[in-house]
Amino acid sequence: MEYAIRTENLVKRYSKGFTALDGVSLQIRKGEVVGYVGPNGAGKTTTIKILTGLLKPSSGHAYVNGVDVTVNPREALRTIGALIEVPGVYDYLTPHEMLTYFGKVYRMSGGEIDHRIKETLELVRLSDWEHKKIGTFSTGMERRLIIAKAILHKPDNLILDEPVLGLDPKGIRDVRELIRQFRNEGMTVFLSSHLLGEVAEVCNTVVFLNKGKVVSSDSMDRIGSTMERKVVDVKFLKPLSREEIEKLRAIELVKSVDVNDNAARLLYDGQPVSSVQILRRLVSLNFDVVSYNVETAGLEDYYVSVMGEGKGGN
Amino acid sequence: MEIARYNIRNDVFDTYLSVKFELMKHLKNRRLFIVGALAIIIPLIFYVKVPDTAGVFAVNVLTFLNLLIVISAAMFAGDAICGEFEKKTNLLSFPTPQRRSSIFAGKYVAALLATFLVVLLYYVVMTLQIAQLYGWGAIPTELGKSFLTALLFSAAAVSVVFFFSAVLKRSISSTIVGFLFLMVILRVVQQILTRVNQEPWFIVTYSADLITNVLGVSSSLGFGRGEGEPALTAFTPHLGVGIAVMVAYAIVGFAAGMALALRREQ
Repeated sequence: MEYAIRTENLVKRYSKGFTALDGVSLQIRKGEVVGYVGPNGAGKTTTIKILTGLLKPSSGHAYVNGVDVTVNPREALRTIGALIEVPGVYDYLTPHEMLTYFGKVYRMSGGEIDHRIKETLELVRLSDWEHKKIGTFSTGMERRLIIAKAILHKPDNLILDEPVLGLDPKGIRDVRELIRQFRNEGMTVFLSSHLLGEVAEVCNTVVFLNKGKVVSSDSMDRIGSTMERKVVDVKFLKPLSREEIEKLRAIELVKSVDVNDNAARLLYDGQPVSSVQILRRLVSLNFDVVSYNVETAGLEDYYVSVMGEGKGGN
Repeated sequence: MEIARYNIRNDVFDTYLSVKFELMKHLKNRRLFIVGALAIIIPLIFYVKVPDTAGVFAVNVLTFLNLLIVISAAMFAGDAICGEFEKKTNLLSFPTPQRRSSIFAGKYVAALLATFLVVLLYYVVMTLQIAQLYGWGAIPTELGKSFLTALLFSAAAVSVVFFFSAVLKRSISSTIVGFLFLMVILRVVQQILTRVNQEPWFIVTYSADLITNVLGVSSSLGFGRGEGEPALTAFTPHLGVGIAVMVAYAIVGFAAGMALALRREQ
């Protein structure tokens, strides 16, 4: 199977003996949106810099669409769009001038460049700023412009390194929305972030990196199911009477009950079938159920479970 | 063989794109206008005291060309390499299908072209002044040789600053260090060697004296030594050696700068 992005035992050692990556192997299928998660200094940016030809690995290989980045960077980088850290912008230029230059670098024709500039600037909501100096842009606008540059040549693979770093909540929402759009268009997205909420919202697979090593890798669905807490949160229309609480305790699948006013937490065996049966029983017992939620642990709990409580990082 | 030819064609085109992009930068941030304005204004100052012959006028005007070339090289090549890393624009331009060597070569050529343009402007203004003051027939025949020498010194100066841009981390540092190296340090070494009666043939600023020496007349400006003082410059650069030294500085500066730039990691 040809992966969109693949690394093989990637190792990066610096001259002072510091090992940033220690045998990282990744396999990202086409169309996947993969979150690359880890504490600061875990090696996320180093991996991305190797994938985008900015750094050379000490050993190992990095492939994009089957092309080795270190052997044939020109071919590999043609199919990549990248946003790495917080890049500088050419503040003396306009978006049109900057994107025209990069369009030519990707050997796009003049007409194609003009068409794609309009299309991408519209996508990142900068159409009205096409001929204004970039120096007058806010941080969020700059970031959106860099994303426009990254997708100008319609890359198969988008590599984003901390894309919402330093953005205000609106900027974060905008970027997140863009990533969702790219996912829906079938683009492969490799998203490095230390913001778990961001990853949980847009990614379908998560790779956890710590101290230069992959410590866990799984789909969001599987992570979600392994982190179910075997607890159902139920809200009722009005506070429960003593008699009603006893009825709850009497439900055979419920192991224990914790009631607080009109809400109850029911501990059970965690099986989906049991959860359905408990709900049916509540209805048959004429409880006025307003909401019924199987409680799951968040990605943060999973992160702590795979990384440990320590700070991590190198 | 076909792939190699394809890659070379791509590299040449990428270098061309980089040259255009860099020249646009020099235009947009007004550096080219500022140095171009100096190239027009400086010769005009010499209307204050007009000498008797066109040759002396040309030497007087050209005395200040070295300074303008060094300013130009420092301004156009000072941020060629370190500027990309300092402003982090390398994170935009490097992860693209173009070699870093093409990007840096383009920046070097752009600095070279901008400096050549300034030198050309300087000679055009000076030539028009001579034509106006002394007539077209009075234009010194050796002016072409002087112009070519000035272009060679420009290449050497740009290469020296390009080298500092690869060594240092900040654009402002490489611009200032490049300027001081060419205008102060080399001049001081040149004068010390001259004082101890050693010809400073390997100093590029000494070779740059050929810009005026090839005209075969002396300046009437009279700075350099007071009455009764011994001559500071007892030597005159040899044309062949001077050209060889300037070419060597240009090649070595560029090659060393490029090698260091390509080794530089993020």
